[in-house]
Amino acid sequence: MRKLLQATAAIALMATAAGADTIKVGVVGPFSGSAALQGRNFQAGIEAWFALNGKTVGDHEIEIIYRDLPAADPAQSAALTQELVVGEGVQYLAGYYYTPDAMAAAPILEEANVPMVVFNAATSAIVNASPYVVRTSFTTWQTSTPMAAVARERGINKIITVVSDYGPGTDSETAFIKAFTDQGGEIVQSIRMPMSTTDFSPIMQRIKDSGAEAVFAFLPAGPQTLGFMQSYVENGLKESGVALLAPGDLTQESDLGALGPNAEGMLTTFHYAVSHDSPENKAFVEAATGWLGNANELSFPAVGAFDGMHVIAHMIEATGGEQDAAAAVESVKGLEWVSPRGPVSINPENRHITQNIYLREVAKEGESWINKEIQTFENQGDPGWVAP
Amino acid sequence: MQTILSIGADALAYGMVLFVISIGLSVTMGLMKVVNLAHGAFAMIGGYVASYVTQQMGLHFAVGTVAAVLFCVVLAFPMERLLFRRIYGAPELIQVLMTIGITFIIIGIANWLMGPTLKTIALPDSLRGPVDIGFRTIAAHKIFAAAVGGAVALGLWYLIERTSFGIKLRASVDDTAMAGALGIRTKIVYSVSFAIAIGLAALGGVVGAQLLPIEPYYALHYMVTFLVVVSVGGAGSIPGALVACLLLGAVKTTGSYLWPEFGNFFFYLAVIAIVSVFPNGLMGRAK
Amino acid sequence: MSNDAKTMTIWQRGLRSDLIACLLIGLIAVICFYAMPSGLSLLTRIIAIMLLVLSIDLVTGYGGVATLGHAALFGAGAYAAGIAAAKFGITDPLLMLLIGTIAGAIAGFLSSLVILRGHGLSQLVLSIAVIMLAREAANKFSTWTGGSDGLSGIAPSPLLGMWRFDLWGKTSYWLAVILLLVVFLILRQIVRSPFGMLVKAIRQDPIRVSAMGAPVYWTLVKMYVISGAVAGLGGALSAVATKVVGLDALSFELSAEAVVMLVLGGTANLFGAMIGTTVFIWFEHLVSSVNPFHWLTIVGVLLVTVVLFAPRGLTGIADQLRDKFGKGGAK
Repeated sequence: MRKLLQATAAIALMATAAGADTIKVGVVGPFSGSAALQGRNFQAGIEAWFALNGKTVGDHEIEIIYRDLPAADPAQSAALTQELVVGEGVQYLAGYYYTPDAMAAAPILEEANVPMVVFNAATSAIVNASPYVVRTSFTTWQTSTPMAAVARERGINKIITVVSDYGPGTDSETAFIKAFTDQGGEIVQSIRMPMSTTDFSPIMQRIKDSGAEAVFAFLPAGPQTLGFMQSYVENGLKESGVALLAPGDLTQESDLGALGPNAEGMLTTFHYAVSHDSPENKAFVEAATGWLGNANELSFPAVGAFDGMHVIAHMIEATGGEQDAAAAVESVKGLEWVSPRGPVSINPENRHITQNIYLREVAKEGESWINKEIQTFENQGDPGWVAP
Repeated sequence: MQTILSIGADALAYGMVLFVISIGLSVTMGLMKVVNLAHGAFAMIGGYVASYVTQQMGLHFAVGTVAAVLFCVVLAFPMERLLFRRIYGAPELIQVLMTIGITFIIIGIANWLMGPTLKTIALPDSLRGPVDIGFRTIAAHKIFAAAVGGAVALGLWYLIERTSFGIKLRASVDDTAMAGALGIRTKIVYSVSFAIAIGLAALGGVVGAQLLPIEPYYALHYMVTFLVVVSVGGAGSIPGALVACLLLGAVKTTGSYLWPEFGNFFFYLAVIAIVSVFPNGLMGRAK
Repeated sequence: MSNDAKTMTIWQRGLRSDLIACLLIGLIAVICFYAMPSGLSLLTRIIAIMLLVLSIDLVTGYGGVATLGHAALFGAGAYAAGIAAAKFGITDPLLMLLIGTIAGAIAGFLSSLVILRGHGLSQLVLSIAVIMLAREAANKFSTWTGGSDGLSGIAPSPLLGMWRFDLWGKTSYWLAVILLLVVFLILRQIVRSPFGMLVKAIRQDPIRVSAMGAPVYWTLVKMYVISGAVAGLGGALSAVATKVVGLDALSFELSAEAVVMLVLGGTANLFGAMIGTTVFIWFEHLVSSVNPFHWLTIVGVLLVTVVLFAPRGLTGIADQLRDKFGKGGAK
C-alpha cells in the first residue's frame, strides 16, 4: 500500500515536471497609479528580454502574470502574492517597486518554495527577509556612497544634505554622511523635508545660510524633482557655484525632458544610464523603446527587470524547470554576466547585485537631455548591507 | 533681518499661488455648497492644455493661458448640466463620492491622452529667471502669480459684491425658490458661476504649475491642500480665502525654514487650531 | 408591565433576525472558502477593511459625523498589534487583536475630541488634519514603526497554539470570519439599544436632543470609542494576517476609500458597510487584473453611476425594491 502511494506520488510529480513546459512568473508592480510609468518600465524590461532571447528556456515557455499594486501597500502585496502562488501556481515571483511591498511578500517564500527576484525595491535589508530573495536593481546605499568620493576629488569640504523624509531618503543621507565623513569631509547640516513639500524656496534659503560648498540631495524620482531643481536655480544657488550632487533617482531619463536646462551640468551617481555606450545596451534600449513606443519613457526600472529576467531564465535552466527554490537561488549565487548597464554579478553572500556605479553629468545631446557617464566606480557591492 | 524678509517674500509668493488655485473652489463650496474634490482635476486639465499649446504648438504663454481657461469653461457647462447639478444640496458625503469619481475619470483620461510623464509649460522670457527685489532675488513667475492672485481677488470681489450678477448669485444661494419666484433664472446663474469657478481652477493650474507640476496624479496629490485652505478661510469668502492662504503659506514656509522635519506638523496643527476656534472658517458666514 | 413585555419581544425578534443574518454571513463565508481557495488572503483583507467601514458607519451613518480620517483608528490598531509583536515579543494572535482593539479605542477617544469640535465641512477638515498628523507621526517615529519601509518582523504564533498562519491563509480567514460575526452581533445590539437610538436622534436633530437634557458631545465621544475599537480590531487583524504594517494603514486615501465603500453600500444599517466593501474591493480587484491601465477610470465611472442612479447606496436599492413589491418584509 505504502509503495503504491509512493509510486502514485512519483507519477504525479513526473506529471507536473513533464507538464511544466509553461513556467509561470508572477510580476507585482505599479501598473496604474502615480508610479505607473515605473511599472511600464518593468514591462518594457521584460518584453525587451523576450525580444532578444525568446520566450522559451530549453523547452520551457515562460508565461508572465502581472498583478497591479499601484502604491506602497503591504497588505495588498501579501494578498496578491499569495494569490499568485496558490491560485496561479507561479514558480517565480518578481517585480516589487516599493520596499514594504517586497517585505510583505518575503515571509511566504520558503513555505511556497518560490524564489523572488526584486526588480526595484532598494532598501538594503530586503535580502535579509528571506533566503529566497535575489535583487537585480540597486540599493540607495550603493548608489549614494560613491558620491562622497566624487565630492572629495573635487575639493569639496563642507556639504549640506537635503533629503525627503522617508526610508530611501534617510538611507541615502546616512550612506552619504558616513562615506563623506570617513573621507575627511564635513557635514554642516542635514535637512529632512516632508514628502509633500512643493515649495522648496525656504529649503534653498537654509542651504544658502549654511555656508556649504555643495548640496547632497535625495528625492524620489518624479514630480517633486522638478520643483526642487527649479528652486535651486531660481534661488541663485547654481549661479553662486553651490554644486548639486545626488543619486540618479533625481535625474531619471523620463523626467529629464521636463527638468531640462535647470538640471544641466548636475552630477549624479547611479547604476544605469540609458545613454550607456555598449552593444548590449544598444540592443536593450532598442528593444525596450520599441515596446514602449516612446523613447522618453524609458527609465532605470526597465534594466532591473531585464536583468531580473536573465536571473530567472538561469534559474529555470539550472533546475530543469522543476520547482525547487533552494536549488534555483543556489544556482545564481556568484552568477556573472554582462548587463546593459555593464558587467554585473550576484553576490553569493547576500544575493544582491554587484555592479559598476557611474558618475554622470546631465548634458544635451542633439535635441534630448541625457545622463552622460564620465567616471566609473567598478564592482560596487552594497555598503548598507549588514549580515543578519 | 534679511532672512526674515526673505522668508516673508517666499511665504507671500507661496500663499498667493495657493490662493490662485483654490479660490475657484471657494466659489463652488461657499456659494454653490458643493464639496468639489474634482477642483484639482480641472486645474490639471488647464495645465495640460497650456502645456500642449506652449510646448507642442509652440505658441506664446498668454495664448496657452487663455486657451486653458476657455477650454475648461466650455467643458464646465455640460459637466454642470449632466453631473454637478444632480448633487446640489446633497449630503457632503454624496458630493465627495461623486467628485472623487469624476477625479478618477479625469486622471484616467489624462494618463491615457497625455502619458504619465511630467509636463511643463513654456514660460515667456519675461517670466523666466530671477528678479532682484532689493534684499534678494525671487523667481519672476512667482511675482507674476502673486499679481494674478491680487487681480483675481479684486475682480471676484467686484463681481460678487458690486454687479447685478453677484446680487443674483447671492440671492440664488440664500434662497433658490424665492430667487426663482423673483424672476432670477437660478439654473443659469448656477451654470455661469460653476463655469467661472472652473475657469479660475484652470487659471490657477497654469499659473501655479511652476510650483505644482502637471502630471496625471496632480488631481489627487493636492486635493486635500485645496480643500483645507478653502475651509480654513471660510468657504465663499474671498478675503477669508486670501487671509487663510497667506497665513497658512506663512506657517508652512516659516516651518519648513526653521524646522523642515516638522513642516507638516505645524501646518496641520495650525489648521486644527484655526478651525477649532472658527468653525465656519476665518471669515465664513455662520450657518 | 405589558409595555415591558412588548419591548422584550421586539428585542428578541431583533436578536432572532440578527442570528439569521449571522447564519447567512457564515454560509456565504463557507461558500467563498470552497469557491475561491486561492483568494483567502484577499477575502481576509476584505474583512479587515469591512471592520473599518463598519466602524465608520457607526459614527457617520448613525451619528452623522463627517469624517475622512477614520483610517487613523485602523492604523492605530495595526501599529499597536504590530509593535507589540515585533518589538515586545507578544506574538499570541488573540492578545495582539486585544491590544489593537484597545489602541483603536484610545485613538478613537483622542481623535473624537478634535473632530467633534466641528460640524459639516469643518469636521471633514479636522478629520483630514488628524489623519495627516497621525501619518506624519508614524513616519517620524520610524524606530518604532519602520517608517515608510513598513513594520516587518511580525510573526504571530499559532492561534490557540493549534492553527498556524500559513501560506494558504485558512487560519487568518476563519479568524477573520469569526471576528466579523462577533462584531456584527455586538454592533447590532448596540445600535438597537437606547444608546444607539440616542446617537441616531443626534444625527437627526442635535439641538432637540440637547434640549431633552442628553449629553450630545459625550454620547458621540462614546460612539467614537466603540467605533475606534472596531477599527482597531480591523487594523490588528490586518497586521496578524499580512505580518506587515505600512504607512498606507494611516493614509487619507484609505480613509476616503472606506467612506466611498460605505456610501456605495448604504449607510446606517451595517449591511451596507459589508456589501459596499465587498463590492468595491472585488470590483477593483477584478478590473485591475483585467486592465490595470484603465481601472481608475472604470472605478470612477462606477462611483458617478452610483451617485446618479442609487444615491442611497446598494442597500438603498434593495429597500426601494422591497417598498415597491412586498410590503410585509422582515421589518
